[in-house]
Amino acid sequence: MNKRNMLKASLALSALMVFTHGAHAEFKPTRPIELVVHSGPGGGNDVMGRALIAAIDDAKLSPVRIQISNKVGGGGATAASYLAEKKGDPHVIGIFTSVWITNPLVQQEANVSIRELTPISLMLLEPALIAVRAESPFKTLGDFIEAAKANPGKMKQSGGSPLARDALVRTVLQAKTGARWAFISFPSGGERISALLGGHVDAMVIEPAEAGELIRSGKIRAVAQVADARLPDFKDIPTLKEAGFDVPNPPQPRGLIGPPGMAPDVLKYYEELMQKAAQSPGWQKFVRDGLFEAKVLGPKQTTEFLTQTEVQMRGILQESGVKLVR
Amino acid sequence: MDIFSGLMHGFSVALMPTNLLWCLVGCFLGTVVGILPGLGPAATIAMLLPMTYNMSPTGGIIMLTGIYYGAKYGGSTTSILLNMPGESSSVVTCLDGYQMARKGRAGAALGIAAIASFIAGTFGIVALSLVAPTVADYALSFSSPEYFALMALGLALVVLLAGDSLVKGLIALLIGLWLTSIGTDLFTSQSRFTFGQSSLLSGLDFMIVAIGVFAITEVLNSIADSEETQILPVPKGLRNLLPSWEELKACRFAFANGSIVGFVIGVLPGAGASIASFISYGIERAVSKHPEKFGTGVPEGVAAPEGANNADSGGALIPLLTLGIPGGGTTAILLSALVLWGVKPGPLMMTESPDVFWGLVASLYIGNVMLLILNLPMVPIFAQILRIPVYVLHPLILGVSVIGAYSVSGRVFDVMLLAGFGLLGYAMSRLKFPVAPLVLGFVLGDAMERALRQSLMMSQGDLSILFSRPISAVMIACAIVVLFLPLLPRFRALKQAAG
Amino acid sequence: MEKRFLKDGDVIAGAAVAALGVYITLAASKWDIMGPEGPGPGFFPIGYGVALVALSLVLIVSRFRSGEAVEQKSFDWAGFGRAMTTWSAFTVCAALMNTLGFYLSFALLTFFLVRFVFDRTLASAAITSLCSALGFYLVFGFALDVSLPIGFMGF
Repeated sequence: MNKRNMLKASLALSALMVFTHGAHAEFKPTRPIELVVHSGPGGGNDVMGRALIAAIDDAKLSPVRIQISNKVGGGGATAASYLAEKKGDPHVIGIFTSVWITNPLVQQEANVSIRELTPISLMLLEPALIAVRAESPFKTLGDFIEAAKANPGKMKQSGGSPLARDALVRTVLQAKTGARWAFISFPSGGERISALLGGHVDAMVIEPAEAGELIRSGKIRAVAQVADARLPDFKDIPTLKEAGFDVPNPPQPRGLIGPPGMAPDVLKYYEELMQKAAQSPGWQKFVRDGLFEAKVLGPKQTTEFLTQTEVQMRGILQESGVKLVR
Repeated sequence: MDIFSGLMHGFSVALMPTNLLWCLVGCFLGTVVGILPGLGPAATIAMLLPMTYNMSPTGGIIMLTGIYYGAKYGGSTTSILLNMPGESSSVVTCLDGYQMARKGRAGAALGIAAIASFIAGTFGIVALSLVAPTVADYALSFSSPEYFALMALGLALVVLLAGDSLVKGLIALLIGLWLTSIGTDLFTSQSRFTFGQSSLLSGLDFMIVAIGVFAITEVLNSIADSEETQILPVPKGLRNLLPSWEELKACRFAFANGSIVGFVIGVLPGAGASIASFISYGIERAVSKHPEKFGTGVPEGVAAPEGANNADSGGALIPLLTLGIPGGGTTAILLSALVLWGVKPGPLMMTESPDVFWGLVASLYIGNVMLLILNLPMVPIFAQILRIPVYVLHPLILGVSVIGAYSVSGRVFDVMLLAGFGLLGYAMSRLKFPVAPLVLGFVLGDAMERALRQSLMMSQGDLSILFSRPISAVMIACAIVVLFLPLLPRFRALKQAAG
Repeated sequence: MEKRFLKDGDVIAGAAVAALGVYITLAASKWDIMGPEGPGPGFFPIGYGVALVALSLVLIVSRFRSGEAVEQKSFDWAGFGRAMTTWSAFTVCAALMNTLGFYLSFALLTFFLVRFVFDRTLASAAITSLCSALGFYLVFGFALDVSLPIGFMGF
C-alpha cells in the first residue's frame, strides 16, 4: 500500500467511525475490562468471576478481553474502595457479595458504602443448608433447638465471621425461639466442616455444593434449608419456614457493580452484557454445578434489592449485639 | 478395589502418553511459577482452569496437581540464592539455605533441597496411597485444643531459635506474634491496630513480612557492609555444584523428619505447609548434636523444611480427595476444578471415580521422578545467577521483591509495607536481634490465638479442655520438655559452680 | 558514663520496644479482655504488650548491670548512610509506583542505585536500568502476564 492509499483508507475509516458513533451514540469498550474481585485466586468470587468470563468468551459476547483483578483484603473493603477511586472509568467493574453491605456497617475503616457505587446486575443467590453429623441424635432442626433450649450455651455451631450469613441465621433463630447456643468462628470452610465431621461442634450452616457429597455418602444430614423454596437437589429437606421457624432468610447475593458515576450508556452496555451472559450455556452450567439459585435483576431492581437487604442486615446485626458504626 | 490393584490400574491410566505429557507440563509449569515470584500456583491454576475444560478430567487434574506440587520444588531456589522466599512454605529454607550459598555451597543447598523434596514427596505419596481413609479420620479427631497444643509446641521450638540472647529472641518473637493480631478479629469483627487504614483490615500477609525482613534487609545489609563489589562465591567445578557425601549423610535424619512431620501436618486442614516446614526445622534443631550451628548454613536446616513442605502436598490431598475438604488456597481451587469436571471429591470418590483417583495418585509418583530429573540439571544453571555483579543483582532483588509483594493482593500499599519491614529487619540486625523468631512467631501467632479462643468457647471457658484430650495433652507435655531442654546445661553449670 | 549508655544499641532498642509495648497495652485495654464467650479481642494483644514492656526492662537493666564491659566499636556511619539512601530510594520508588507504573519507577530506582550508591558511570547506570526494566517486562509482563502497577503513561 502506498502513502496515498493509506491516507485514503484512514480517512475512510475515520469517516466510518464518526458515522457509527453519531448513529448510535452508545458505549463500546475500547480496551480490556478489569473485573475486580475481593478474593484471591481460588476464592468464591474469583471462581465466579472466571466462570463468568469463560461464559462470556465462549458465547463471544464481549469485543474486548475481560481480566480478573484480585483486590484482596478487608472483607471486600479493598475492592470497594478501589472501585470508588475509579469514578467514571467505563472499563472497570466488580463483583459484590453480601459482605460489601455488612462490612461498612460494622467497620469504621470500610468507608465505601455499596450505595455510592453503581449496581449493574444481581446474578445469583447462594442458598444454604443446616446440617448435623449423621451420628447426631438430632433428626430435625426442632430437635436441635430443643436441645439448645434445655442446655443453654452447651450446643455449638461452627461458622465464619460474626457478619457472615451463618452467624445471621443463628441470630434470627435464637431471636425467634429463645434458645442459646455457641457460635465458634473458623476462618475457612474446610475447618468448619472438619469441626462438624469430627464431632467437635453440633451443627453448621453449609453451602449445598460443599455438603452434596457428604450428604450422599452418609457423613452428615441436612435438617433444613435456608431458602424461600426447596432447592431442586434437596427436595425432601424442609425450608426453615416448613420446619416450623418462620424467620427471614438472610440472603447471600452476588452480582456485578460499577464505579460511582457510571454514564447511562455504559450502564446500559453492561446491563445487556450481563443479561446475555446469564443466558449463556457456560454460566447456566456454573449455576447448576454450584447449586446456586439464579436470580438476575436489572440495575434498578438490584439497587432496590441491595437497599432492602441493607435494612434487613442492619436489623439482624443489631439483634446479634454487633456494634454498628454507621 | 484393594490398594495394590488400584495402584496398578492407576499406573495404567497415568502412563498413557497424553497423561504423561500433561503430568510433565504441569510439573514444568509448577517449577517455573514456584521459582518466579508474582505468580503463585493458585493463580496459575485459576488462569489455566478454563483451558482445561475440554481435556479429560484425569488429564486435567493430573496437570493442575502437577502445578501444585511442582511449585513447592521451585520455591526454594530464590530462598537459597537470594534470601528471598518464593513461596510461604520456603521461608524457613532461607535461614540455612542462604547461609550455605554465602559459604559457596549454593549448588549443594539446591541439590539437597531437590533430593529432600523428592524423598519426602515420595513418602507423602506412598502414605497417601496406603492409608488415605484411615488418616482422614485421624485428621478429624484434631480440633481446636489440638491445634493450640501444636502451636504451643511450635512456639517452644522458636524459643530454641533465639540465638545468643534469650531476651532479644523473645522480644522478636513477641513482635511477630503481635503483628498477627493486626486486622479484623475473626470472632468479634473488632478491628485491631489498623490505624484507620482499610488496607490493614485483613491483616498483614506472611509473604510481605518474610520478603521484607529477609530479602530487603539482606540487600540493605550487604550494601552497608561493603563499598566494593562483593559477590557471593560462585560454586566452581562439578564437585561444588552437588552436595557432598558428608552433607547428604548429615541429612539422613532430616529426610525422615521432614517426610513424617510434613505428611502428618499436611493432613490437618487447619495447618499449612509453612507451619509444617517450620516445625520440622525446629525438631531438627532440637535433636541436633550441634544446634548452635543452625542458621549458619547446615545442610539439615535445608533438608528438613524442604522435605516437610513437599510431604505436605501428599498429606493435604487426603482430606481433599476423601472428604472434599481443602486445606488451603491452592487445594481449594483444585477442588473447584474437580467439581467443574463433574468429579466429586468425597468419601465415595475412590469407588465411584477410580480412574481419576488412582490415576492421580499414580501420576504423583511419576511427577516426583520427573521433578527430580527436571530440577537437578538446573542447579548449575541457577547457581550462575550469583555471577551477576552485585550492582545489577541488588536492584534486581528489589524489583523481584516488589513483584512478589504486589502480587499478594494487587496493592501498592503492600509495597510500602514491604519497605517498612525491610527497615525493621535492618534495624533488628544492626541491634543484634535475631529475625527468625519474629517470622516464626508470625506463622504461629494467628493460629494459636484462634485455637485457644475456639477451645475455650467449646468448653465454656474451662481450660482443662487442653489437658483432658490425649493428643493435645501429649503435645503440651512435649512443649514443656522442649522449653526446659536448653535450660539443662545451665542447671548443670549451676550445680558445678555450687559443688 | 550515662551518656555512653544512652548511645548503646541495647538501651535504644529497649526504649523503643518499651514504647511499642506501652502502645500495644493501651490500645488493647480498650477492647474486651474476657468476654462472656471466653477471651476477647484484647486478651492476646494485652499479654504481648505487657510481656514486651517487661522484656525491654530486662534488656535495659541487664545492659546497665553488665556495666563497663561495653566495647564500643566505632559505628560505620558511611555504611549506614548507604543503606539509608538505598532504603529511601526504594520507598520513594514504591510511593511513585501508582503514578509512574512499575517499570518506570523500577528503572529510575536501578539508575539511582547504580549511579550513586554503587558509584558506577552514568552510562553503565543507564544501560543497567534499561536492560533490567526490559528484562522484567519480558519475563513478568510479557511471558507470565503478571499484573503490575500501571502508570499514567499506560505501562
